[in-house]
Amino acid sequence: MSDTVLEVQALTKRFGGLVAVDGVSLEVRKGQIVGLIGINGAGKTTLMNCVNGIYRSDDGQVRLNNADITRKTPHEIALAGVGRTFQVPRTFRRMDLIDNLMVPLLHTDASDADLTARAEDGLRQVGLYELRHNHGEELSGGQQKLLELARVIMLDPELILLDEPFAGVNPSLCRIMLQQIEKLRDASKSFLLVSHDLTSIYRLSDHLYVLNQGEIIAEGLVEDVQNDPVVIEAYLGN
Amino acid sequence: MANVVTSSASSAGHWLRPDIVRQLIWYLLIVVLVFWCITAPSRDANLSLYFSFMMWITLASSLNFIAGFAGYMPFGFVAFYGLGAYGTGIAVKVLGLPIWLGVPCGAALGVAFALLVAPSLRLAGIYFAIVSLSLAIICQRVVALLPEWLTGGSLGINLGVVADREHGYYAMVLVLVGVLVTASWLARSRLGKALKAIRDDVEAADAMGIDVARSRLKAWLLAALFASLVGGVDAWFTGAFDTQTAFDVLVTAKTVIYAMAGGLGTALGPVVGAGVLVWVDDQIWRAFPVLNNFLLGLLIVVLILFAPRGIVGSLMQRFPRLRRYVM
Ligand SMILES: Nc1ncnc2c1ncn2[C@@H]1O[C@H](COP(=O)(O)OP(=O)(O)O)[C@@H](O)[C@H]1O
Ligand SMILES: [Mg+2]
Repeated sequence: MSDTVLEVQALTKRFGGLVAVDGVSLEVRKGQIVGLIGINGAGKTTLMNCVNGIYRSDDGQVRLNNADITRKTPHEIALAGVGRTFQVPRTFRRMDLIDNLMVPLLHTDASDADLTARAEDGLRQVGLYELRHNHGEELSGGQQKLLELARVIMLDPELILLDEPFAGVNPSLCRIMLQQIEKLRDASKSFLLVSHDLTSIYRLSDHLYVLNQGEIIAEGLVEDVQNDPVVIEAYLGN
Repeated sequence: MANVVTSSASSAGHWLRPDIVRQLIWYLLIVVLVFWCITAPSRDANLSLYFSFMMWITLASSLNFIAGFAGYMPFGFVAFYGLGAYGTGIAVKVLGLPIWLGVPCGAALGVAFALLVAPSLRLAGIYFAIVSLSLAIICQRVVALLPEWLTGGSLGINLGVVADREHGYYAMVLVLVGVLVTASWLARSRLGKALKAIRDDVEAADAMGIDVARSRLKAWLLAALFASLVGGVDAWFTGAFDTQTAFDVLVTAKTVIYAMAGGLGTALGPVVGAGVLVWVDDQIWRAFPVLNNFLLGLLIVVLILFAPRGIVGSLMQRFPRLRRYVM
């Protein structure tokens, strides 16, 4: 498939005896928002860490635009076009917001003035411009999640991995977040969206995967997955 | 909700822009500092005090490159200083080079050692600190075991008449200018931002496209370069050293304390910290010859308790508007 952006094949990640990700295969196409759901501990974050290179997977392959990126380092994968946010926001605590957004731009040869302008614009997009001289640590949890989204947008990646973007974010900030995601999708960016909260993910996703104890137990369109008895059982307990 | 750090909206493009004011203040500080130190010999001032003032500012500033910007605290920092001294001594005594060529040789030795042990930067936090400390101890032992014709054995190296004290003093002024200019460049550069990102969250920096290994190696080599230059120039100024003085853990301890007292992560912090504490140390030492170490220790404890981010760091936290004026 020529429009496949991300292709994960039989990926496995073990921690000692625990198999956190167990032979997972999935695919994200251009302009698609793919949802990945599953209860806490299902292996969603671990999978994401394997895709962006923070964890080294034990088995399987990750391909980006048909190029193997399985053994690449996180910064190589970032520059190849994969951006991500973190479940617990990881802003640069003691850098101001402008510098926070400049970090993904440092490798470019644009002028410093240009970088500043782009960072300021990025902050305006998510409504954090007024706080541009504040440090990352001075933001609320929800604001930090927005800052992370703005930061990953600066990287201008083809594929964005979002780990629980709405968790702990108040409704008005959630709205900004949703707007930004939809805007990026309209600009043909692809997403792998991880959440254990179903409402937002049902609304956004074009395609869904359900992860349970490291394995994909269901996939398909939202309507199909929603009513799948296997999924209901996994969510409501055995 | 955070208190908004305001900025005067009309200031863009004006010559009073914070970043310009910031540079003016900083370079003015350098000029005053250098003028004050360079004229000390002609004022018949206490050269040892001035020398140690410059030396500790330089050491604290170079420690700041790796500890303040990149977030790696090297408890074995003295290794660079010691190798700088020995490299200089060997170049002069064994190779017969003039001392002004010996000091760069010492620096080259320090930087080479930094390259050799650079893989230790893969360790995080306290593990890095401990390994760094061990490497410095190993370094001291190895130098102590080298043949006497090379390192002078337990007597150490005496540079004697080769090393003119006043020339050594001026060499220190040069190294001081070098470290301060480097610090201000780093504070504004892209490398500096990359390092701060690594310090604040290494995985997030990596995921945002920062080549972590390369960036922190640069900071590491810069820190090693200036610390070993100080070692060589100190040997030039004092004329003699041995493995006890050149690898004294107190050198690391003082450097760390001075840098932290001023505040890591800004170019200004270590200058303020070393400047203030060297002066206070001297005052206390004059007034209370017996209790001086106790009082200095007490002062440091109080400082850490009430200003955990150092003098400059805590002021910037308390008065956020200052941030944009501090280099
Ligand atoms: N670094 C790690 N070391 C050991 N076990 C881990 C590590 N990271 C995750 N795990 C384990 O892997 C499993 C999946 O965790 P995670 O991927 O965080 O789940 P999710 O994001 O779906 O809630 C859990 O059992 C968790 O305890
Ligand atoms: Mg998770």
